[in-house]
Amino acid sequence: MTGPLKIWGSRRRMHISFLLHNAYGIGGTIRTTFNLAQALAERHDVEIVSVFRHRDEPQLGAPAGVRLDYLVDLREKSHGYDGGDERFKLPAKVFPVGDGRHKQYSRLTDARIATHLKSTEADVVVGTRPGLNVHITRQTRRGPVRVGQEHLTLAGHSYRLRRELSHRYGLLDAVTTVTEADAHAYRTRLKLPGVRIEAVPNSVPAPLVAPADHDAKWVVAAGRLTRVKRYDLLVEAFAKVVAARPDWRLRIYGSGDASGNEKNALHALIGELGLHNHVFLMGPASPIEPEWVKGSIAAVTSEHESFGMTIVEAMRSGLPVVSTDCPHGPREIITDGRDGRLVPVGDTGAVADALLGLINDDEQRRAMGAAALASSARFDPEHIAERHEALFAELVSRGGNGRSRSRIHDALYSSRGAVLDGAYSLRYKAASVLRKGQTA
Amino acid sequence: MNTTPTRTEPPRADCIADSAGGITFDIVGEASPGAVLVLRRRGGTTAADVVRLPLTPTGEGRLRAVLPSTVELAEGRWDAFTTHGDDSAEQRIEPGIRDLRSLVDRAPDPHRTQVAVRIPYPTVDGRLAVRCWLRAPHAEAGTIGFSHGAMTLEGRLYGAGLDSGAVAEARLRGARKDVHRVPVTVRPDGTFTFTLDYEPLAEGRGDEQRLWDLWLCPAEAEPGQAAGIRIGRILDDVWDKKGVFRYPVLPVEGSRVTRPTTAYPYFTVDNDLSVRLDTLR
Repeated sequence: MTGPLKIWGSRRRMHISFLLHNAYGIGGTIRTTFNLAQALAERHDVEIVSVFRHRDEPQLGAPAGVRLDYLVDLREKSHGYDGGDERFKLPAKVFPVGDGRHKQYSRLTDARIATHLKSTEADVVVGTRPGLNVHITRQTRRGPVRVGQEHLTLAGHSYRLRRELSHRYGLLDAVTTVTEADAHAYRTRLKLPGVRIEAVPNSVPAPLVAPADHDAKWVVAAGRLTRVKRYDLLVEAFAKVVAARPDWRLRIYGSGDASGNEKNALHALIGELGLHNHVFLMGPASPIEPEWVKGSIAAVTSEHESFGMTIVEAMRSGLPVVSTDCPHGPREIITDGRDGRLVPVGDTGAVADALLGLINDDEQRRAMGAAALASSARFDPEHIAERHEALFAELVSRGGNGRSRSRIHDALYSSRGAVLDGAYSLRYKAASVLRKGQTA
Repeated sequence: MNTTPTRTEPPRADCIADSAGGITFDIVGEASPGAVLVLRRRGGTTAADVVRLPLTPTGEGRLRAVLPSTVELAEGRWDAFTTHGDDSAEQRIEPGIRDLRSLVDRAPDPHRTQVAVRIPYPTVDGRLAVRCWLRAPHAEAGTIGFSHGAMTLEGRLYGAGLDSGAVAEARLRGARKDVHRVPVTVRPDGTFTFTLDYEPLAEGRGDEQRLWDLWLCPAEAEPGQAAGIRIGRILDDVWDKKGVFRYPVLPVEGSRVTRPTTAYPYFTVDNDLSVRLDTLR
């Protein structure tokens, strides 16, 4: 993690505009954007423009002091319902095919987002997913600072999307990632001269409940019940914990996916291992803070984390976290042996040993919990917002220069983008013909 | 571009539960002389089914109501409202932060004559309610073990003087005289244990599904009739156990079982313990 950025120039009031897929749903990007927007709104004019609106109120509650706008109305009962627009059924041309949300975008979103970006009066325009960052590179009027946020990871994107980003992101002023590891990937794997690439972690507010007291004999885990979280590994590790310490139990919070397959598989595993008195699938809980403090240790056994939001949440509640040392986030959050434990990915025995180490040593559990509480304060929305603010302010203040540089630079990039676009689609077609040939 | 209009938020209460059964409700709002938090028992019709708790200012624009452990609430679901005087309408409350850590592994004094449990929870329509149990005496279910077509329950008695001759009864729901009895071991420290074979519960009936409710009773009582103690699990923070406490579904075997049958224990919507048997056609 880099040190605090220097604030360039005076702290002038900025107009900051976030472009978000859907501010009315539930999700990590939405929550993080709300936290950041609300913190920035204390000193700046902040708006969130949601591409879609499918319900009357944001499920996560509207962030205070932030203007919330939307572009496409999906509420069938609303008089402004946009589903009848003929462009709504035509596939998007601007929003990239490689972004997993492409199917939800259309010729209508192409046009509405363009109208918004061509007329925005913001000083800073911030995109919150690759497809929207591409919109910003192609449709924002000359003037505003353009920032593309990456909430997942470059490595997690398809080859096709990475190719597109490599020739579009040159028209951004900055890309922010949530981990240093991902910033490194952007710096080394995409050639983006003149584009600032900064890692700024997600923020987590201080919980509204008192921290855990480390007396409860419970281990807590939380997150969606999906394969990548490897809760099966956690349950297996916990069988070893119970063999040594039957007085300790495990709660796993989170909802299953639509299929329910992972939840059913976990129930079956719990039954098979005879852990029905010790391991409980609690279902979803919101807010989650009062659930963390019912435990004394948190566990994360993922094989991949783009950031590791639950690790920070648990630490802010005063819990030491035993986490797999998976890419990308955990090792940038936890200092092994000081404020938590990092164990090899996929190693049931290592997870069990680390849990038992903290279970059997009350003093170490308390000390690491206290260290976790202290060190996780660096993720407070105020600190994180200051880092974004410093980056935005620096880019705005260098605006004149940067823009005149980028007039030529932009022209180069635009033409390079168009050429590559054409070349790429030819190549893609050729490759797809080849693949079809092979499978035929 | 379209802008979301602002709206007036319904009141939201943060709750803290203490291990004795008391609850503190904190609400953002302006002080007014008639401000009260009202709890109404769902389906209740008498004066005892309404409790009014004064909302007093605690500074910083917050109001607090306290439900002391000494105020008795009947078993059931109590919906929470606020009102600012006799003339103003009652408003439902949204649940905020519910700090229930004190309830997680409750161990009340076993010599108390009754066990009272109050858990603030969000209803399915997103409102605040309080789930209450009031049992005197009470039989708390603990761990359940399984072997050879039988389940063994470990539990603890509160406020009851059951002697060594006590029995556990499985009572078939909907058929008052269909009762199966097994002996119970009651230890001096108030813990008890019994083993229930599934085979007799499967015997001689053609129903596809049977639900057996589990009770503790004095030995001399008439089967199924005595004022027994319904076995439940209420001494924690989980107001709805049905989906959380899941036990293995085991085949029921034996010479008296003629068709493929499975059995498993489960908690009812009232967190009482029952056994469900399913027979395939």
